[in-house]
Amino acid sequence: MEKTRRLSRFLDPKLLASLSSMEIRARTVVEGMVEGLHKSPFKGFNVEFSEYRQYVPGDPLKDIDWKVYGRTDKFYIKEHEEETNLSGYLVMDTSGSMSYKGQGSLSKIDYASTLAASLAYLMLKQQDSVGLVTFANGLRRMIRPRTGMAHLKAVCSELEATRASEVTNIGASLDLVGQSMKKRGIFILFSDLMDNAEVIIQKLRQLRTRRHEIVLFHVLDRDEISFPFDDTTIFHDLEDESEIVTDAFQLRTEYLRRVKHLMNTFKSALRKSGIDYLIADTSMPLEANLRSFFSRRQAVSAR
Amino acid sequence: MTFTSPLFLLGILGIAVPIYLHLYYRKTPVRKDFPSLRLIRLSVEFVARRKKIRNLLLMTLRIIAIILVVMSLAKPFLGQSASARSSSDTPSAFIVLLDNSMSMGCTHQGISVFNTARARALEILDQMQPGDRATVGLINDPGRLIFPQLTWDQETLKKSISNVPLSMAGTNMASSILPALKLLSPLKAYRRAIYVITDMTESAWQPFIEKYDLAKVEQGIDLIMVPVGDTAPDNMAVTGLEAEAPVIMSGRQIPLKVTLANHSQRSRKARVTISINGERKLEEEIEVEANAVKDTRIMANFTTTGMNQLTATIQGDAMPFDDQRHLAVRVFEPCRVLLIKPDSLPGQPENREDIFVRFALNPLNRGKDNNFAVEARSAAETRNIDLNNYAVVGLINQRHLEPELIKRLSEYLMNGGNLITFLGNRVEPEWYNKNLIDDLGSGYLLPARIYKRVGNAVSRNVGYQMTDIDVGHPAFSIFAQDGSGDPGRAQIFEFFQVRPNPTALLLTRMSHGLPGIVEEKRGRGRSMLVTFSADTSWTNWPVRPTWLPFLHQTLISMITANELAIGSIRPGMPVSATVTSEDARDMQLTQPDGNKLKLAAQTGAQGLVHFTTRDTDQTGYYKILSDGGKRTLSAFAVNPPAEESQLARINLRRIPRFIPLAHEPGRGSSVKEKVSLLRDGYDLSGAALLALLLLAVIESWFANLPTARRVE
Repeated sequence: MEKTRRLSRFLDPKLLASLSSMEIRARTVVEGMVEGLHKSPFKGFNVEFSEYRQYVPGDPLKDIDWKVYGRTDKFYIKEHEEETNLSGYLVMDTSGSMSYKGQGSLSKIDYASTLAASLAYLMLKQQDSVGLVTFANGLRRMIRPRTGMAHLKAVCSELEATRASEVTNIGASLDLVGQSMKKRGIFILFSDLMDNAEVIIQKLRQLRTRRHEIVLFHVLDRDEISFPFDDTTIFHDLEDESEIVTDAFQLRTEYLRRVKHLMNTFKSALRKSGIDYLIADTSMPLEANLRSFFSRRQAVSAR
Repeated sequence: MTFTSPLFLLGILGIAVPIYLHLYYRKTPVRKDFPSLRLIRLSVEFVARRKKIRNLLLMTLRIIAIILVVMSLAKPFLGQSASARSSSDTPSAFIVLLDNSMSMGCTHQGISVFNTARARALEILDQMQPGDRATVGLINDPGRLIFPQLTWDQETLKKSISNVPLSMAGTNMASSILPALKLLSPLKAYRRAIYVITDMTESAWQPFIEKYDLAKVEQGIDLIMVPVGDTAPDNMAVTGLEAEAPVIMSGRQIPLKVTLANHSQRSRKARVTISINGERKLEEEIEVEANAVKDTRIMANFTTTGMNQLTATIQGDAMPFDDQRHLAVRVFEPCRVLLIKPDSLPGQPENREDIFVRFALNPLNRGKDNNFAVEARSAAETRNIDLNNYAVVGLINQRHLEPELIKRLSEYLMNGGNLITFLGNRVEPEWYNKNLIDDLGSGYLLPARIYKRVGNAVSRNVGYQMTDIDVGHPAFSIFAQDGSGDPGRAQIFEFFQVRPNPTALLLTRMSHGLPGIVEEKRGRGRSMLVTFSADTSWTNWPVRPTWLPFLHQTLISMITANELAIGSIRPGMPVSATVTSEDARDMQLTQPDGNKLKLAAQTGAQGLVHFTTRDTDQTGYYKILSDGGKRTLSAFAVNPPAEESQLARINLRRIPRFIPLAHEPGRGSSVKEKVSLLRDGYDLSGAALLALLLLAVIESWFANLPTARRVE
């Protein structure tokens, strides 16, 4: 009950769907929730000195200022104020499966695009640079990271223009994205991950080893999570156009077990590698996903 | 299986409903887009097989349910008999065959097996319905149908079964089962059955199933086995009794062979008691191994001439009827033989042409305790001798005989005496033919006319041998077996050519075909002519090993030929014999229980007088009396067949086609119910409804079983 009450403060996805402009959607989402944020959720690489404080056991030794130690014979930790000048890459899966629209008002790609635009807006507002990459069977479109709110329009235009189609080849696409990202930055992937899980995990780990920050939004429709079908059904694959006939009622338990197993696999494997894994349920308000994203980022920053 | 209401079987078409529903719902799926079938495919592979099995199982359950509903309505009946396949209102034609062979006489738990069998037969006859036809038959040797036609009269059939006695005969399954099958075969409009109530002894059934293929019996006839008694009880029996001597002389030790059979799984001892004419004479304890037959020899001495009753008895057991065995033996006085040898010439040594005959008949020259008492006299010395005191008279190489002696010999022969004539160098054929044949008319002495001499006993250039020996004749029967010697090896250098009379028997020929030894029945006696000498002057036979047995067998056959010998027979076997018209007067048969029956003699086509009796059902000693019971003509023994003592049961599985109907009083359903079940079959309606109920519960449970639980 408490959760419902809290979520009611967020924007209804139906309302968002009525907003045709992605930019307006993004502004609506972010401005409705940003008032509670005091710090940037993104930890930058170029930082300014903030203050010294005395060393306490448990602090990393690399943060000790040895020059001060030479002068004062005491251990001081040099703290920095974060600077929000980083490069963000919004990587959007635009394969056919992302076009699915279940009982909710937004399709998976619409939901993911709104989420991406919201994050772009937020980052640009904090003087960070944002780029956009779309892919399906390979790279489709790439917009290099830039700063300034004027760039938001370009990102949103591209997101609006993108149509979900083709089969997914996430592994190959991530390779290409990694090769094109010259500068370390934050890498935010929106995908339903309808590809080989092992390959996806392996490629994301490779990106992580290049010191990129990686956040993965696993975009799933409520139908995919709850599988609310009862009849004998011909299921039509939105990617490869294949079909399969089955008794959905009898299939449900086994399907749900596999979905849950898949999500747990991603969650455990990616978090071990320091990659944030977040479920983006399209039936949930966007703010809820953003809120959980920010909470997660703040937890990472605290570490 | 049969159905009371077969029209309801049309409802079986209802199984099309679940099949249609099954197929219909398979073909109407809903189309639905989905992001990716990747996970669905993996899940389908896992679930599809179980789903298919479940659906098929459900469909099968529903089909079975419909079949059960239809079957319940059609009221099915199931039975292993052909009768159960017929309509329930078809009348029955059946035959009850009751085994009353001797083996049924044993007791089981103190109750006679035969009485139990008789009770079963009455119970089966009680199941006769209005419109049914039946008859009853007996299984023994030979078996028969008591009523040769089927009848509706139930009371008569029951009465006949109640009066059936236990037979002492063996078991001949074919003699009763085959006529029963033949009787039922044409009655195709009836439900047909043959009930065989028997103790199922292997000795009776094995020969039957080996000879007849029961599998080929018409399928419409039910063969129903009603076993009585339990496992075979231990049984010991006297299965053989015989005197091991060709002829029994009074006062002589005779070996008796007693055969004991032990039909049990352990070695047993039996005390054998030998009784002669009802008087206990000998006792001996004999041990017989398990499942073995043992012969033992006991020496016995008979003192009474004429017919004697010999009985071997052991102590009683579960089967009392085979613990005693009987034998009828005729005891003779020692046989007196008179040899009339050639007169000795004055101044010459005593003629010894009789020596080889005398030596053969009394090899140890014993004065007494010899089977044959031989006297040798010249023709002149026989003037004051009564020939009737001698069983056999031998004429040896006589030249001439006095007319008075010839007359006495003729009378002796016609009154039952026996004459053996040996020829030799003194014989004048013309005198023999004239005085011993022609002048005597119907009282002639010789069985053949004598002609010329053949061969030369002086030069002995040519040795003739005896061929075509009639080993069927008692005189030569001993040589029928290999290793018993061959009279054909003896050589005859000279003999008389003879021509046998029309009624004479030719016992042997010479090697070129001329008669050698001839015999003819003369009046009540017999005359034998040997065409060569009795000593070694014309032949070397007297010094050959076959000479002695030939003479012994010849004399024994002569003295026993006139006796009415019947031997031992099985119960129920007919006894037939030829007698003289004198003996045939007022004949009687005395049965073992003392009952006397009149025997009717009949004159046959050739004037032969004979009688036949079938009153031999009892075991024991029978006497045939003449002259109103004053004179014993003969006697014989009736003994049970040895195989009836073997009570081991045959396994019912080895008998094709027979359906068992076993019953123990107080256990399971009654005979009435079992007969009814065999005839009408089992009503499966109740079972079908019960199965339907059970199936409905299973289907309901299975159809509503949560899929998740199954998948997990």
